[in-house]
Parts: sequence; C-alpha cells; structure tokens
Amino acid sequence: MTSHIAASGLRKSYRKGKIEVPVLDGVDVAAARGELVAVVGASGSGKSTMLHLLGLLDKPDAGEVVLDGRRIDDRPDRERDRLRNRTFGFIFQFYHLLPELSAVENVMMPHLIREGVFSYMRKRAAIRRDAEELLERVGLGHRKEHQPSEMSGGEIQRAAIARALIGRPEVLLADEPTGNLDAATGQGILDLLRDLNRERGLTMMLVTHDQQIAHQADRVVRLAEGRIEEWVPALV
Amino acid sequence: MYKYLLCWRYLRTRYIALASIVSVTLGVATMIVVNSVMAGFAEKMRDRLHGVLADVIVESRSFEGFWNYEEVMARVKEVGGDDIVAMAPTMETPGMLRISRGGRPAETRLVQIIGVHPEDRAKVGDFAEHLFDQEGNPIPPSFEVSEEVKARSPAGRELKALEDEPPDPFLESTREWLEKKREEQVPIHGAILGYALSTVHLGHGREDVYIADIGQKIALAFPMQAKIPQTGADDYTVVGYFKSGMSEYDSTHVYVPLEQLQRARNLIRPSDGKGSVNQVQIKLREGADLDAVADKIQLAMEQLSPMFFMVSTWEQKQGPLLAAVAIEQSILNILLFFIIAVAGFGILAIFSMIVVEKTRDIGIMKALGASTAGVRNIFLGYGLLLGAVGSGVGMVGGLLFVRYINEIEKGLSVVLKRKVFDDSIYYFDRIPTLVETHTVIAIVAGALLIAVGASVWPARRAARMHPVQALRFE
Repeated sequence: MTSHIAASGLRKSYRKGKIEVPVLDGVDVAAARGELVAVVGASGSGKSTMLHLLGLLDKPDAGEVVLDGRRIDDRPDRERDRLRNRTFGFIFQFYHLLPELSAVENVMMPHLIREGVFSYMRKRAAIRRDAEELLERVGLGHRKEHQPSEMSGGEIQRAAIARALIGRPEVLLADEPTGNLDAATGQGILDLLRDLNRERGLTMMLVTHDQQIAHQADRVVRLAEGRIEEWVPALV
Repeated sequence: MYKYLLCWRYLRTRYIALASIVSVTLGVATMIVVNSVMAGFAEKMRDRLHGVLADVIVESRSFEGFWNYEEVMARVKEVGGDDIVAMAPTMETPGMLRISRGGRPAETRLVQIIGVHPEDRAKVGDFAEHLFDQEGNPIPPSFEVSEEVKARSPAGRELKALEDEPPDPFLESTREWLEKKREEQVPIHGAILGYALSTVHLGHGREDVYIADIGQKIALAFPMQAKIPQTGADDYTVVGYFKSGMSEYDSTHVYVPLEQLQRARNLIRPSDGKGSVNQVQIKLREGADLDAVADKIQLAMEQLSPMFFMVSTWEQKQGPLLAAVAIEQSILNILLFFIIAVAGFGILAIFSMIVVEKTRDIGIMKALGASTAGVRNIFLGYGLLLGAVGSGVGMVGGLLFVRYINEIEKGLSVVLKRKVFDDSIYYFDRIPTLVETHTVIAIVAGALLIAVGASVWPARRAARMHPVQALRFE
C-alpha cells in the first residue's frame, strides 16, 4: 500500500531555558489516501507536534515528511505556505475564528489568502457560494452572517471545519477537534468528519485522547515516549 | 486580499487604535494652521516690504550721492533692456523731524527723509496706494499744498477777509506782508509723513490721535554737504500720510520733494544747476529674474564708476527680516513635528498590544497559508490606514480652521471678552492665511511616514511569530 502522507524518523525537541526537551524521537507514521488515522497518546506525548510537522507548521530537527512520494518538509517557505493553503486543512482543538469576520468570511479565509485583489474580485461570487454551501453542509446555513461572538462552541468548530475544507485539501489534520466540546456535540462533529472522509475521499489524521473516538477510525496509532506503537482497534 | 479585508475590519472595530491617532490628527491640523497663518503673515509682509521697496536699487556709498544719475539710468536701461519697466531717482538720508503743536511740547523723532518725484516713485513700487488724508481717503501722489490748506492758516484767513476790499496801495503791501506770513505758517513745500510718525497709538480699541494734522508745519533737519559734518533744516507742510502697514516704514519715512531736499542739503551743482541723488529705484518686468538683472547692473555700474555703487534687490535689502521669519517657521515646524512623533510612539504601544492580542489569529492565518510578508503587511497596512485616517481628518480639520479662522477669532473674542487678534498692531483687518499645497502634502506625508514607521516594529514581530507558538498561545 502506497501512503498518501508519510513521515519517517521525525525528531523534534524544544528548548525550555537551557534544557532540551525531546518531544518526538524518531516517529514513523503514514496514512493511505482516503484513510482516517487516529493518533492517541497521553497529554504531552507529542501528538500535536507530530501533526504540526506533518502539516508544515513546524520544521523537524531530523527525519522527513513525504507527500505522494515527494519530500515536502525541506521546501522553501513560499511553497510550504502554498501547501498549507492548498493541500492541508487544519482543525484545531480551540475552535478559533477571526473575531472581526463573519462566519462566511471566516470560511472563505483560505481563498482570501490565496487570491490577490483582482483575482478575488473575479471569483468572489463562486467563492462565496462555495463557502455558503459548506456552511449548509456542516449545518450552519442559518449562521452565515453571524459574528463568531454570537455562535456557540460547536457552531464555531463546525465553521472551522468548513474553513478547513473550502480550499479542497487532500489531507485534513485535526488536533483534538472535539476536545473542548461536550460528548453529544463532539460526536456530531465526529460524524461530520467521518462523512466528509467518505464522501470526499479525504485523508485524515485525527489526534485525540478519547478511546471512544479513536475506535471510529480506520486505524489507530499510539504515540508514547516520542515513538509510535501501532495497533489495530478491536472491532466493537 | 485578506490583508485589505483585515486592515479594513481592524480599522472599523478597534476604537482604541483610533484614540492613538487623535494626536496625529491634532498634530497635522495644528501644523497646517500654523504654517498657513505664518505663510499668510510672511506673504503679507513680503508684499508690504516689496511694495514699498523697488525691485532693484542702485545706491551710492556716500550720502552726497551722484550727479550723473541720468547716465546711470541710461546704462541700467542698456543692460536691463526690456526687463526695466520704470526708474526713479531718489535722495534718501537720515534726519530728524520736529512736530510742534500749540500748547504742547514739541516732538522730535528720528526719521528717514526721502526726496522723490512722487509720480516717478509711484511707478517703481507701491507708493500711491499707501497715501491717505486725515479721514483715511486715498490721495494722489503729490506734494502740492492746496489753496484750501493755505487759506486755513491765520494769515490765509486774514487774506481772505481782505479779498473783497477795493484796491488801494496800503492794502497791497498788507497783502504782500500777509502772503509772506502765510508762507511762514504754511511752507510751500509739502511733505508726506509716515502714519505712525504723525499719530499716537492709544490702543484698547480707541482711535489713533493725530499729532500732525494736514496743513501743519513740520521741521526737518538733515546732514548738509559740507567739509565738516553739519546739519541743515527746512520747513514743510504736511499734505498726506503714508500707511503701508509695515511699522518700520510707517514710523520712519518722511517723503519730500526731491529738488527741495537737494537745494536744502546744498546738493545742487552750481555749474549746471543739477542736484544729486543717492539712489535709483528700478522696477522690473513681472517675472524677471531679479538677481540676474541686479548682477548685470552691478557689472555695468562697476564699469561706470568702480567701487562706488551698490546694487541690491529688495530681498537682499530685507534679507535678515525675511530670514528671521523663515527661521521662526522652520523651528515651529520642528517643534510641532515632535507632537506627531509622540503620536508615533502611541501607535507603537497600541500596535504592540494588538499584535499580542492577535497572536492566535496570526497562528491561524499562518496555518491557512498566510506568508510572513502577508502577516507583516496586514499590520503595516493597518498603520498606514490609521495614519491616513488620522492625517486626513487632521488635514480637513486644519484646512477648515484656516478657512474660517477669522470667524473663529471673532467667536473667541466674544467668549474671552477681549480681542484675540488686535488688528491695530498689525494693521491687518483679517488674519492673513496662505495654504501652500506643497506644505500640506509634506505634513500629511510626514504623518503617514511616522504612522507606518511606528508600525514597522510590531508588524515585524507579528510576522516573525512562529505559527506553532502562536497556536499554543493561551
């Protein structure tokens, strides 16, 4: 099986004052196209760091990240920005929208970043229609023009998911997307992600510490002491 | 695209940042007002300075002057060509003025006595425009003592009374005696006195009081041409007042007929009866290059008589005064610009706070593919936008203030119950203003530069923020 996104030998450590704290110590992980991989592990085990390295938000100290067989972690900044904008979609634990923009504008953000003034002006109708359709899809059709301050946590996270999807990414990286939500809302978000994974063939990496959620993934990998321990989930 | 959208939204939602540009607004408005008023004053002053002075003046180094002024004028015309519009020979000398008024101690003042042909003088600069009678009505440039003035004198009144008497020899001699007497009381040569010389300024809104009325006799003393320093004196009749608005001139100038001054100073050459002058005042064509023409004339004068003539333009003559005004204006500008610079630090402080507050937004934007330059430009653009709003409002406010400055002055005077702008000090009935486009542009550009400059550091900090750290920010 060829992997869609893969990392091998990832190492990363952070400096805390004078002490070097190793976070990742040779992580190998891969996801096939269309696969939903759950990453579990205790807090502080480096799950988020791994996700950031995969999504080019950070640079590994050693090891490499490969997308479709091509190494991407050593690309110049411009191309990394472009890959983040087009190939990756991010969902964070803290559902964060830009407070100055309405829900639909927040969803449009990847396109706003991608396009210059003139190309945006040309395409804005299509972009807006796209964003509105996505908001409908995540069940926020009635919240399009609302400000983030007027929306609930679950709604904001749905909008954040719509934002992650509008750029038509190939890989969705979700960092505890349900971490700050109650169980019912969290399950709703998860069902949404699962559906999107199926209908769009999205490759997904889902970081969570919730076994319940992890079990809904195709495959679960466990991160402990900076390394991956893989096991197949027990079918419930 | 997101940069512009976010700049715009920040501008519309962050009122605290708008507070930081109030000082930009005030600074820009103040600078525009101060510069416009000072430029207005300076222009008015230049106008008045220039108005009284001719464009170019050829003068001799000695008070005795030169007799060959016709030759001088011919040479000037030769080298100046079409640039020369008019010329007036003038005799200018320092002297003393004595005004005596019945019952009061006489007043003696130091003056500049200027002997002119009034019509010629009027052609080389504003002279006729500044002449008034006691009621403030304009009068023609002339030194003629009117019959009416003569008739008003004691001897004149007696003569008038004798007019209708039948002729008889005794009466004839009385008449002759009275005419002589009248000439003593009302000298036949007229003089035009500076307004400030002939009045006392009481202030406090009261009218100026004339101490030298029209028709009154005044005495002038001046240096004579002689082997040893010696003074001469002569009597004149006041026929008008000179009020240019430049206190330096209005408080020193006394204009008298050229030939009479030459005669009194013993400057008439017995051989041909010609008098000397020590200045030739020259008016040039509008738009002529004063300095170039002055240089040409200087060269010609050196050929005519080396080391004898000085040629200067009116600006050179008033150089120190004009330079002083320019220095005042530039110092004020520097001081006022500091106000805007202070505003720059306000922007810096508030921007730094905003960047911290926006840490997570910046992380998200970077995760969504925003480049380092893009994030930096958001904040630079925001700074520019704030500067534009601040200086734009300041510009409009400043220009409106300048436009309605006289109305504002009136309002303030009513509120403060005292005159803010005492027009009797400057002789201006309105506060003069001059809005120079290039000054306004420079002020606004300077303010924009400071606003952008102050946002450079916070913007760089925002741009350098590591996305992961920004996302972890709690």
